[in-house]
This record gives sequence, C-alpha cells and structure tokens, in this order.
Amino acid sequence: MRGRGRALLRLLAVQGAWNYERMTGIGMGYAAEPMLEDLQATSPARHLEATVRSAEFFNCHPYLAGLALGASVRAEHEGVPGAQIQRLRTALCSPLGALGDQVFWAGLVPIVICLALVTIALGGGGLTLVAAVLSYNVIRMVVTRWALVTGLGAGMQVGTAISASWLPRAAARIAAPAGFAAGAAVPLVAAWLLAPATMPWIMAAVASAVAALALFRWGGARWTSPRVALLFAVVAFLWTRVVP
Amino acid sequence: MIAPPSVLTLGLLLCWGTVVGLDLASVPQGLLARPLVAASVAGWFLGDVEAGLRVGALLELFALDVLPVGASRYPEYGPASIGAVLLANALPAPAGMGVAALLGLGLALFAGWTLDWLRHANARHVHRLADALHTGSPAVIRRLQYAGLGRDTLRSLGVTTLAMLSALLIAGWWGPSTPLPPQLTPVMVGVGAAAALTGALRTAGTGRRLAWLGVGVAAGLALVFTVAA
Repeated sequence: MRGRGRALLRLLAVQGAWNYERMTGIGMGYAAEPMLEDLQATSPARHLEATVRSAEFFNCHPYLAGLALGASVRAEHEGVPGAQIQRLRTALCSPLGALGDQVFWAGLVPIVICLALVTIALGGGGLTLVAAVLSYNVIRMVVTRWALVTGLGAGMQVGTAISASWLPRAAARIAAPAGFAAGAAVPLVAAWLLAPATMPWIMAAVASAVAALALFRWGGARWTSPRVALLFAVVAFLWTRVVP
Repeated sequence: MIAPPSVLTLGLLLCWGTVVGLDLASVPQGLLARPLVAASVAGWFLGDVEAGLRVGALLELFALDVLPVGASRYPEYGPASIGAVLLANALPAPAGMGVAALLGLGLALFAGWTLDWLRHANARHVHRLADALHTGSPAVIRRLQYAGLGRDTLRSLGVTTLAMLSALLIAGWWGPSTPLPPQLTPVMVGVGAAAALTGALRTAGTGRRLAWLGVGVAAGLALVFTVAA
C-alpha cells in the first residue's frame, strides 16, 4: 500500500475542516485519500465506496485518529464489507476520544506546561519552554506515526491491538504525575507573578482566589474563570475609585 | 512608556498569531496555542521575553481550567495572548500585567465564539456539498478540507488583528496621567490560581490523582517558602 507518508502528514491536519455535521470526518477522508489510491486501479467501484465511507462522521482524539484511519484503510483493501467498516469506525470514536483526552489533554499537556511553569518560576528562562515544546512535539509525532502503523497492521483487530498497547496503561498512570505537576505549579507561579510580594498584593490575591474558588464551586456553570476575572476586575476598578 | 513596535515586529506578531490560531484545532496541535508559548514568543519578537513569560504564565493559569474535549466551547487564549503581551509591553510593570491579562481574557472569550462560527461555517459547506460527497470524489473532500483550513487561517488572522489593534488603542489611550489600578494584577493572579486549581480538581476526581494534587500543592508551597527564605 502506497501513500503512508502523505497520510501521516495529512493526519496532522485531521481537524482542519472540523464541523458540527461530520466532526473530523472530512479530515479523515482527506488523510485516507493517498492510501486509497491503489484501489482506484484494482477496484474502481470499491475505491468510490471507500472514499465515501472515509469522509463520513467520525470523532476522536486527533493524535489517535491514525488508529481508526489505518484500520479502516486496511479493511477497505482486504475487501471487508462496508457495513462492518462503518461499525468499526463508530465503535472506535468513544474509546479513542476518552483515551486520548486522558493521556494527552488531561495528562501530558498539563505535565509539560506545568513543569515548564515551575522551571520558569524558579528562574529557568525561555529556553526551558523551547525544550518543553520540542519534546512534546517529538512525542506527538511518534504517537501519530505509531497510531497509523498500528492501525494499518491490525486492521479489523485494532481493538485488540489498542487493549494490548501502552495506551490503556498510560491513561491509568499519567493521572498522578499530572495532578502533582499542576498542584506544584499553581503556588509557585502565583508567588513568582506577585514578586516582589507586598502585603496588600498578597492579601488581594488570596482574597480573590478564595472568592473565585467559592464562585466556581457553588456559583454554577455560568461562572467560568474569564467571567469571574472580568467581574473581579470591575470590583477592583471600583475599589480604586472608592479607596484612595 | 516604551516606543511603539516597528511595522516589521507588528507583521511578525500578526503572522505568529495566525500560526497560533491554526495550531489550536486545525494544524498541527503542537502546544503553540498555549498562552505560555504564544505569549513568550510574542515577547521575544517585542524584545521583552520577561513580559511575555509573565503574561503567558498568568493566562496559562486560566487556560489550565480548560479541557478541549469534543465539541465543547472554550475560550481561545493563543491570539489573545499576543494582544495581551503587546499591551503589557507598552504599560509600566507590574500593574500593567493585570490590565494586559484582562484584555487577554476578553479577547479569549471573543476568539472562542469565532471558533463556534468556524465550525458552523464548515458544517454549512459540508451540507451544501453533501450530494457531491456521496459520489466518492476525493476532489470534493480536498475542497472541503482546504476551505476549512482557509477559513481558520482567516479567522486566526482576524482575531490576531483585533487583539493587536485593541492593545495598541488601549496603550495609546492609557496615557501617563491615567493611573493603572494597582489591585488588578493580584486580583488576576488570585482568580487565575483559583481557575487552575479548579481545573485540576475537576480532572482529579476523588482518586489517586487528588492525593497527588494535594502533595503537589504542598511541594509547591514548600518551594515558595524555601525560595522566599
């Protein structure tokens, strides 16, 4: 099968046409196109069907989309009935979304960002950030390639391949370091941002934090952090006018 | 007050903001859209990495509250961070950081709405070409993909332009005779810390991660007092 390299590059833009109609479906179809080209010569009718299927509704974590893409493309080449391929794609949406969100959005991203924040707050400087972004993107590329290769290798057995892989273990284990990194970063960054700390500034920050935590906890979903910040800013402006 | 940035610097910031806007969802999702990264690079372009790091770190506290899952709506901090750094660069520190962060938050909310517009616009385009999609033509898929990327490029460019114009207008309006509200910076830091903790608590649940979050907070506080001593 040709076109793996182009498919890998196109996977980086799998959410390029994200929409409420088919979500990442168009991006998946775009990424599948190079790997489906071979079918055009051997079985034009199958190629048309496979192309239509490749762009249908799909949604999962973008870094793991290669698993579904590789598996469905291999199934298309093996002549698996279309209904089965559609069921496979549907079945993969939720687990790949949940695993990806746990491992990356709630795991690796907070770890990398919070470690960078801690290092910067301790005087690490901007180069720390460069190293963090580069390291993260190396991992991102390795995972994207792994997902595509694993999907292509497993085909319809991709569910078994995912279960046996590092992904479920990582999802279970990454939570602890992510929590630790976030917990350590918050007081350090706050202290660094307030430095040189004066007592009125510390009191204003602590009072704002306590009031904001109370609003987030008991104020309901409409009290998002930017809204609370905007409200408190108005209060701070009025305070400046009232208290000389 | 610092001299306004050159046209070249403004052009670089505009390009960077567009890249950052694209990175959030379209391509390549490589952390460039995080406020810490977006703002620090913007600070580097402006010759003030320290301001970029500080504004970026402050907005990052708010961004840590966001989990960008599925079709959820959330503020977009990337291009907003660039406007915030541009303003912070023009105002006296440290009070200017609070005003800059406030602008960044407002812009992030607006940018979040434009993401919703983009998703609807892409959906309308897909809907219009639904019949053509059923013919199995790869050209139709390519057309939709490129149109989506093009729309996001224009959106990111537009949001960054608005962010930079807002920053320049506010910096021009905020003359030396208008004092900065001194409490704004600690208030923003306080709310930001609360937002980051709330986000961490939400994802921690009640399990092992919650315990590690507590250990992390204790370690962070211990480091703060050690450094202060």
